[in-house]
Amino acid sequence: MTLLIGSLQLGLLYSVMVLGIYISFRILNIPDLTAEGSFTFGLAVSAVCTVSGHPFLGIPGAIVAGGLAGSFTGILQTRLRIHPVLTGILTMSGLYSINMLVLGGTPNLALIGKDTLFSLAVAAGAGMDKEVVRLALSLAAAGICTVLLALFFHTQLGLCIRATGDNPDMVRASSINVDRMKIISLAISNGLIALCGGLIAQYQSFADINSGVGILVVGLASVIIGEAIFGRRSVTIGLVSAIFGSVIYRYIIAAATRADWFPAYMLKLVSALIVTLALAIPAIRQMLEVQRIRRAGKGGN
Amino acid sequence: MAYMLEIQSANKCFGRGTVNEHTALENLNLSLEQGEFVTVLGSNGAGKSTLFNAICGNFLLDSGHIFLDGTDITFMPEYKRSLKIGRLFQDPMKGTAPSLTIEENLALAYSKQKKRSFSLALARKDRDFFRQELEQFGMDLENRMKTRVGLLSGGQRQVVTLLMSTLVPPKLLLLDEHTAALDPATAEKVMEITRQIVERFQITTMMITHNMKQALETGTRTIMLDSGGILLDMDREMRKDLTVERLLDMYSEKKKAEFCNDRILLA
Repeated sequence: MTLLIGSLQLGLLYSVMVLGIYISFRILNIPDLTAEGSFTFGLAVSAVCTVSGHPFLGIPGAIVAGGLAGSFTGILQTRLRIHPVLTGILTMSGLYSINMLVLGGTPNLALIGKDTLFSLAVAAGAGMDKEVVRLALSLAAAGICTVLLALFFHTQLGLCIRATGDNPDMVRASSINVDRMKIISLAISNGLIALCGGLIAQYQSFADINSGVGILVVGLASVIIGEAIFGRRSVTIGLVSAIFGSVIYRYIIAAATRADWFPAYMLKLVSALIVTLALAIPAIRQMLEVQRIRRAGKGGN
Repeated sequence: MAYMLEIQSANKCFGRGTVNEHTALENLNLSLEQGEFVTVLGSNGAGKSTLFNAICGNFLLDSGHIFLDGTDITFMPEYKRSLKIGRLFQDPMKGTAPSLTIEENLALAYSKQKKRSFSLALARKDRDFFRQELEQFGMDLENRMKTRVGLLSGGQRQVVTLLMSTLVPPKLLLLDEHTAALDPATAEKVMEITRQIVERFQITTMMITHNMKQALETGTRTIMLDSGGILLDMDREMRKDLTVERLLDMYSEKKKAEFCNDRILLA
């Protein structure tokens, strides 16, 4: 039971990050490696705020931190015309030092005994089950982000951003500054990823410099799992499917770690394989199709 | 008399100082009055698309000036110019965003003149307006407004693009062989719609085409480009009795004259 509810909490919390990955990967069509750095950036900022007694400040703080990281990557990509994948790597490596700086030069920070959003909520909801309150908070975070984003992508600005990933030429022809749109969307994407980091820090009462390692693959795997269920349709369905993908991913992980024969350190390999397989499906399908046609053609002769 | 478009001694050379040095525009002068519909002829590499790119701001001129309705746009960035300039390409895929629906594409183009904000992109009255505009083409697009543009045929996409670039009537419309990739019947249909729209809003238009007959029959003026300059410039009066054969003769005479001049110079 604890495992079931715990995975649900984690899945919902991490879905905020998956929404960010969805924006960069599916809407903007850029695999943005900044995620690895901005996640930890948000985590560190939120942890430091919490330690100094301001857990609420930690949340907007994390969003702003991620937004700045995303804007920086965006500027490298647009104004300085550096390759999109490389810009993410550059920001991510630079952020490692900055994250250490934020954490005060230590690789990890414990928030045990400090008031966090989660402990305050549990205290406020006196009498209610602790895990249910934590679940409600996670659900609220995922729900609010999804609704706000779904609305945003139907505004004029949101439409411009969706078109930017689709056909930049057309966007330019509609008198829209493509560079600005890319920077804004990367800022939003990384703001969400950092927000997720911020929430996770307070959820687990612990911040570690290496928390962001492999987060991009986790996000991609979740996006892809969601799409496997819902298909690739409208942007609203895409956002909802990202949430479901994230939760299902957590259950897969939970199931895998429960098995005795499966060492936890194999998780990253499994995640990478899921993503690889999912991205390869179109190519594999085409290969099979070509083979089928060949065989049919030979049979006819 | 102020011109709608005025290009003054435009020069552009690509790869200067390298073996690939190529003079794309050479001392080109061109003035268009409001409402003129100019067809542009010229062989490959004559500078037709380069001229359009220069007007749109894909690159800056080496020297010379471009004025649009009295405003100097020589150094204006591309996306700002496109507020006043509509452009269609030969490739129907270029003008629309495939994963957005027809109405979303139109909304994006329609929001051109407004400051883009957090208000919803598609208001009810916008939808009605788009439907009404699509209806007049008789292509049944008005009933498919929620269809993703990527699912439309090339001709349909080109019509959507045409509507997008004229929803807010531009000061200048540039058509870069916009019917060349379509089958003859669709091309004719798209051409007809083009004429309608240009006529209705009296948009100053330039159209590149390789079809000489079409060039002479469409619009009010025809220019022929050659090696980055204007070789022939024919107004309505001069085009009146011109046939394709006569045009070809004029072209070779001009070329020969130029060649002789060069020979005298070198001799």
